[in-house]
Amino acid sequence: MSVLKFCAWLEATPVAVAVRESLWAFPALVSVHVLGLVASVGLVIWFDLRLLDVHMRQSTPMRVYRQVMPWAFAGFATMVISGALLLSGFATAAYGNLYFRVKVAALLLAAVNAVIYHRVTERRLTREASGLPSPVAARFAALTSIALWMVVILAGRMMSYTLYSH
Amino acid sequence: VSQGLDHLFSLVQASAVARMIGESTLITGLLSGLHLVGLTLLVGGVLITTLRLTGVALAELPTAAFDRAVHPAILIGLAANVVTGLLLVSPRIAMASANRYFQIKLLLLVAAVTFYFSVYRKAMRGRPLPPGLSARIAGVVGFLLWLSVVIAGCGFILLE
Repeated sequence: MSVLKFCAWLEATPVAVAVRESLWAFPALVSVHVLGLVASVGLVIWFDLRLLDVHMRQSTPMRVYRQVMPWAFAGFATMVISGALLLSGFATAAYGNLYFRVKVAALLLAAVNAVIYHRVTERRLTREASGLPSPVAARFAALTSIALWMVVILAGRMMSYTLYSH
Repeated sequence: VSQGLDHLFSLVQASAVARMIGESTLITGLLSGLHLVGLTLLVGGVLITTLRLTGVALAELPTAAFDRAVHPAILIGLAANVVTGLLLVSPRIAMASANRYFQIKLLLLVAAVTFYFSVYRKAMRGRPLPPGLSARIAGVVGFLLWLSVVIAGCGFILLE
């Protein structure tokens, strides 16, 4: 089955029809999606700012991560579930939308960036004593994360304004 | 007053900037994206401070450090959102000002900003709070106020 056929099938499911046609489902899902976004990305940015030595230097990146990121993941799960439901209602239009493709690409790159950070950079961090300036690799991961999430947000908004105009 | 406002709104809507924004989906989408980026910065700053004030996380850090680092970020996010918000609403300011959700959003925004500067920031700096208001309650109330601004904002653009 091609991706486009899958999108068409998805769009015809009862859930997708409800998302499209219900008076309250769409605004409610968008609101939840926005709340999940500001909570998750809002907190991820502060962890990135820790890696950039901007804030919370009295604590180690690992300690900040363990305390802050569970809240970010809760927001992230909210965002993914509401986003998947929203996508189901408009799957074929989204598939052909340039901004949606940019958004998905930026999300994938953000995931790759996070995996590289955890597999490589973080291990180096834990070996070093706390109180030292962040290594270049950690700063690079933080800046990459912030930049990619900005692209995700901007492309996401552009997508909703251009979904049926191209 | 009402006539003066109507006149002001028609002047704003007739301005070159408002007409340019109203006629361009791309500019509107970009401004809306920047509005959401500013919101992320603002709410993220409030959220991380709330985690500290409520004692849920980061108890090893002094609250004053949050005021130094997070307060500027919250101000930048707020300023970005006032500017992008005014630009976004400029092509339809007359309609927006009559919209129930927009009115609620502005009232909640005034409440959130007032609470932030009068109580929340004091809690961030470890200053004495009004009686009955501990830092925990200040943290929760401040966060919920900003959350309600976001929800009313979504109501405005989606249910108008």
